[in-house]
Amino acid sequence: VCLSFLISKVFNSPLFLQEDARDLDAYTLAKSYFDLKEYDRAAYFLRGCKSQKAYFLYMYSRYLSGEKKKDDETVDSLGPLEKGQVKNEALRELRVELSKKHKAQELDGFGLYLYGVVLRKLDLSKEAIDVFVEATHVLPLHWGAWLELCNLITDKEMLKFLSLPDTWMKEFFLAHIYTELQLIEEALQKYQSLIDAGFSKSTYIISQIAVAYHNIRDIDKALSIFNELRKQDPYRIENMDTFSNLLYVRSMKPELSYLAHNLCEIDKYRVETCCVIGNYYSLRSQHEKAALYFQRALKLNPRYLGAWTLMGHEYMEMKNTSAAIQAYRHAIEVNKRDYRAWYGLGQTYEILKMPFYCLYYYRRAHQLRPNDSRMLVALGECYEKLNQLVEAKKCYWRAYAVGDVEKMALVKLAKLHEQLNESEQAAQCYIKYIQDIYSCGEIVEHLEVSTAFRYLAQYYFKCKLWDEASACAQKCCSFNDTREEGKALLRQILQLRNQGETSSTEIATPFFLPASLSANSTPTRRVSPLNLSSVTP
Amino acid sequence: MMRHTMCYSWCGPGPAAARNDSPRLSPPAGPERAEHKSSSHWSRLLSRDGSRGGDWLAGVAGFPGGRRPGAAMASVHESLYFNPMMTNGVVHANVFGIKDWVTPYKMALLVLLSELGRAGSQLDQLERRRLNRLLLPLLQGPDMPLSRLRKAIEECCPNLAGSVHIRLKLIAEGELKDMEQFFDDLSDSFSGTEPEVHKTSVIGLFLRHMILAYNKLSFSQVYKLYTALQQYFLNDEKKCGIDENDMELTSTEELDGKMEKEELDVPLREEEISCSGPLSQKQAEYFLSQQASLLKNDETKALTPGSLQKELNNLLKFNPDFAEAHYLSYLNSLRVHDVFSSTHSLLHYFDRLILTGAESKSNGDEGYGRSLRYAALNLAALHCRFGHYQQAELALQEAIRIAQESNDHVCLQHCLSWLHISEQKIFDSCVLLEHSVNKSLHFGLPYLASLGIQSLVQQRAFAGKAANKLMDALKDSDLLHWKHSLSELIDISIAQKTAIWRLYGRSTMALQQAQTLLSMNSLEAVNVGVQQNNTEAFAVVLCHLAELHAEQGYFAAASEILKHLKERFPPNSQHAQLWMLFDQKIQFERAMNDGRYHIADSLVAGITALNSIEGMYRKAIVLKAQNQMLEAHKLLQKLLIHCQEIKNTEIVISVLLSVAELYWRSSCHTIALPVLLQALAFSREYSLQYLASETVLNLAFSQLILGIPEQVLNILHMAIEPGLAHGAVLDKGCAMFLVAKCQVASTASYTQQKKAEALEYVGSSQTVMALMLASRMYENPQQ
Repeated sequence: VCLSFLISKVFNSPLFLQEDARDLDAYTLAKSYFDLKEYDRAAYFLRGCKSQKAYFLYMYSRYLSGEKKKDDETVDSLGPLEKGQVKNEALRELRVELSKKHKAQELDGFGLYLYGVVLRKLDLSKEAIDVFVEATHVLPLHWGAWLELCNLITDKEMLKFLSLPDTWMKEFFLAHIYTELQLIEEALQKYQSLIDAGFSKSTYIISQIAVAYHNIRDIDKALSIFNELRKQDPYRIENMDTFSNLLYVRSMKPELSYLAHNLCEIDKYRVETCCVIGNYYSLRSQHEKAALYFQRALKLNPRYLGAWTLMGHEYMEMKNTSAAIQAYRHAIEVNKRDYRAWYGLGQTYEILKMPFYCLYYYRRAHQLRPNDSRMLVALGECYEKLNQLVEAKKCYWRAYAVGDVEKMALVKLAKLHEQLNESEQAAQCYIKYIQDIYSCGEIVEHLEVSTAFRYLAQYYFKCKLWDEASACAQKCCSFNDTREEGKALLRQILQLRNQGETSSTEIATPFFLPASLSANSTPTRRVSPLNLSSVTP
Repeated sequence: MMRHTMCYSWCGPGPAAARNDSPRLSPPAGPERAEHKSSSHWSRLLSRDGSRGGDWLAGVAGFPGGRRPGAAMASVHESLYFNPMMTNGVVHANVFGIKDWVTPYKMALLVLLSELGRAGSQLDQLERRRLNRLLLPLLQGPDMPLSRLRKAIEECCPNLAGSVHIRLKLIAEGELKDMEQFFDDLSDSFSGTEPEVHKTSVIGLFLRHMILAYNKLSFSQVYKLYTALQQYFLNDEKKCGIDENDMELTSTEELDGKMEKEELDVPLREEEISCSGPLSQKQAEYFLSQQASLLKNDETKALTPGSLQKELNNLLKFNPDFAEAHYLSYLNSLRVHDVFSSTHSLLHYFDRLILTGAESKSNGDEGYGRSLRYAALNLAALHCRFGHYQQAELALQEAIRIAQESNDHVCLQHCLSWLHISEQKIFDSCVLLEHSVNKSLHFGLPYLASLGIQSLVQQRAFAGKAANKLMDALKDSDLLHWKHSLSELIDISIAQKTAIWRLYGRSTMALQQAQTLLSMNSLEAVNVGVQQNNTEAFAVVLCHLAELHAEQGYFAAASEILKHLKERFPPNSQHAQLWMLFDQKIQFERAMNDGRYHIADSLVAGITALNSIEGMYRKAIVLKAQNQMLEAHKLLQKLLIHCQEIKNTEIVISVLLSVAELYWRSSCHTIALPVLLQALAFSREYSLQYLASETVLNLAFSQLILGIPEQVLNILHMAIEPGLAHGAVLDKGCAMFLVAKCQVASTASYTQQKKAEALEYVGSSQTVMALMLASRMYENPQQ
């Protein structure tokens, strides 16, 4: 799609030279063949052409023809192990010819781009990076070269050492690569400045921002942006899989169903469409059908990573653990950095009651997303099952410190402390937990809130802080499961108060923040690093 | 004048070390693993799993990237359409469903078979017999180049080789239709009233497989097969023929590119070079099993870790479903002590295996639960091997729980013995082990049982059990080994006997056992053709042999043996640490005997690196020799306490001796005596005879100084005999010298005749000394 656009752009550009005019017939003919995917035929009619455009099309046709043949060969191979040894035979020839031209500096931006692609296919990524950088200098507006560059850059350090042309296209590139490298804050900044600079109507930017918010799990914002995007660009299919993921997470059935129907009408043979439908079925708990649609997505594009992972989830739902493991493994093979697949594998083994075994997978996931509390909570749970409470505590604490998504880390930590008879720490955790819950504004039915109040009431009771104890006990009364206990405690407190009226009144600390408790240990422990090295082999 | 070193700290094949091999040689899939010889089992496992790998997917309806060529084709085109740049052409299809593929080599075999049928009665009996014997390995073996195949046939029957060659040439140089005709004719051999080939015979099955596989090929595949055949034939015709097309392309830049690429490819062994074409599945399996068995038996012959990993990565890149490669990669990572990647490979392997396990449910197996528990077990083994005992225990708990849930006693036994290993470091777990041996015997796992017996024997030996009982136990386990022809366990058992005899101070017996092992023909050699002599047992025995020689003053011989060891076990192989330690110990002894303490001191660091306790002890000895009594005493006391904690009696006694020596050197003989008596009691209790006689000599010396020579002579009589029989040459000399001294000391009251006797003694001790000196002079001519 991108390419035909490019070619038409080349054709209409003002730099229409005499050479181009001479090659025009052959070029137009070849272009038509090219559009029909008859690459060899296109290349044949472009043999003698001298102009840059014709030359690019000539080489590009040869390249694509090689790729296509390679794919066809793969199917027709004579044995499973031979299959992988099928190579694009054209690559070597192309490289020789292109490198000659490159040395003579006869390549234009597109030629350089193609040369880079060929080099990358030959696994010469270092050379490829150089060539792509050169291509961006020669032809800064060719997004393809930027994208290729994006695929080759693996970390921030590499990015620093690139000398890129100073154009507005670079900003797009940087924003894109920041998203890829999970540097979401920087990416968002870039996109914002691009919007301010006049790209406010670009649906591309809007979608990228939405994806970025999705990556940092700011679901509400992402959802609203996606809704906006849908309004502006109703027939868009790209990125809709991400949108559907968001809807899925929020269990918004009607919206998801609407989206699925809509996309299905637009084009049902797109990976994204299949993915959306898969999500839809999954939300309706029709997991077999969901898996079927993810499979379809994979048939459409075997390198579509997300579908493998999602299919793994579906198999998990169907309790087909071995198939789930298989699917996750595939996902990892396509992309080693897919933390969801690692996490999924961990979950699978956890379900198979192998807590030690799944530690490895959770650790991998944690390495990839060091600031994601879910992995940390999972790790903590495993350690808890293995009775390694010290490690478990570290994990939960860390999970809380990096911003707990599910708000469960503190409760778990508190329970651990309770188990270890460290009542003071346990109380602190419960206090913080309650603060957290209430500061969110929304009081979701957290089961653990009542437990927290119950524990706190008893704790204060033991410490003889009657005011706090009675306040907590009253809170307990508003929950079904702790009502009786709360009432009993209140009665006890009343009794004891009457007995020792004089002694206890002088202590008057505010309710939720007993300064003595919250001040002493939290700040110091917040900075303590997560040291799991003792258990990491 | 005392010997400086007494600690043959146990150097037998430890059970942990021995058992290191057990999971390695038996990939974790089966409980039967213990009963089978490693390499064959490995390959069997490979072929079994390899063949059934793909079928499972068929069970899961329409798994993506399905193996049906049609489905894969669709996906390829679609992907090309959606994302022209991104397709790597890697279609994740599991094509293992079809077992047999027609390859050029198979074609050559078919030609051979058809020629065989045609020749019929013209062949004489001898040729026919030879050919029949050749055929089976050819049919089952991996693909080989045509030249080798032809040679093999020529050796049996030159005529036939010629006709096969001509027939192949006709096909290869003819047209496609020749090949098609050939396959058409093939099926004729089944027809007729008296068919040449029986349908269900080995050859009949092979033929039918091939015909079926050929018929399944699509047109383009047939064409490809034909060109492959031509290439196969051409490669044989002119081996180094360079394609002309290539020449044209080879411009300067191209050469550059080639160079780069070639630099990446590490030079492989000739076999790999000779079959540079596509690897068939069988070839890959063969490669894996060969490397695995080499890793186990003879590491030096296997590919280097780096190049092996490269090969495996290559294999996996093209075929991610070839799970066994992950296991080999795990073994390979173990070689270089890479915890991270070995864990990764192991878990990857099991993730894959679980897939095949699920399919075996239908075979009456209990499905992937089995591979789950073996996965946990193997993880435990991995942690054990890296010394993460706590982790290992957690993994074991998991394995045990799953095994218990599914009543898998065999797996439980394996868990039990690993549990023993992981807990061995923490406390004595004899009870556990005894239980394990009993149960293993009960469940018919002789391998596990005799490993258990061996480690029991080792523990008991340390605990000072009577030698005859230990030898009885070893004999019993030997019976088991011979019965099940577990040759590697036989080796280990002999090595263990060597070590036990050394521990008890019977150097002659040790020498004899060592020689037995070295001159024994391995059973393995008869069975598989792999010389199994680079195992730990051999390293142990050779090390002992070297030390035994050094003790007798044959330093040249000892260094000869060490040189051999270095060749056999290069410095970075698994068992290299053994000989490194022994090498340094021998050098240390020698330096101490020569009085070159600074050299000895420099060796201490090396010994400490390999064995910290040993190193500390040696350090103390050097300090003592350099008259730094105080430091030496401090160090020895520390060591004493530590060794008493870990119950290393051998070192304890040696330390006590050294302490006593310190005392009598400072002329505190009366204080030395109780220490020596304690040492004597210990060494008697643990029947460490050599140390006992050493102690007696010390005792005698103290008493001599205290002025009771008659008493001394009495006790010397019990030490002198074993000393002369088994002692090192230096000790012999010392003992004789002491006797002589006593004789002289007690002569005051003696008659003339007794004086003469005493003189004789002095004379004989001098001869021994002289002998020893002479031998040393012989070693160092420059002195």
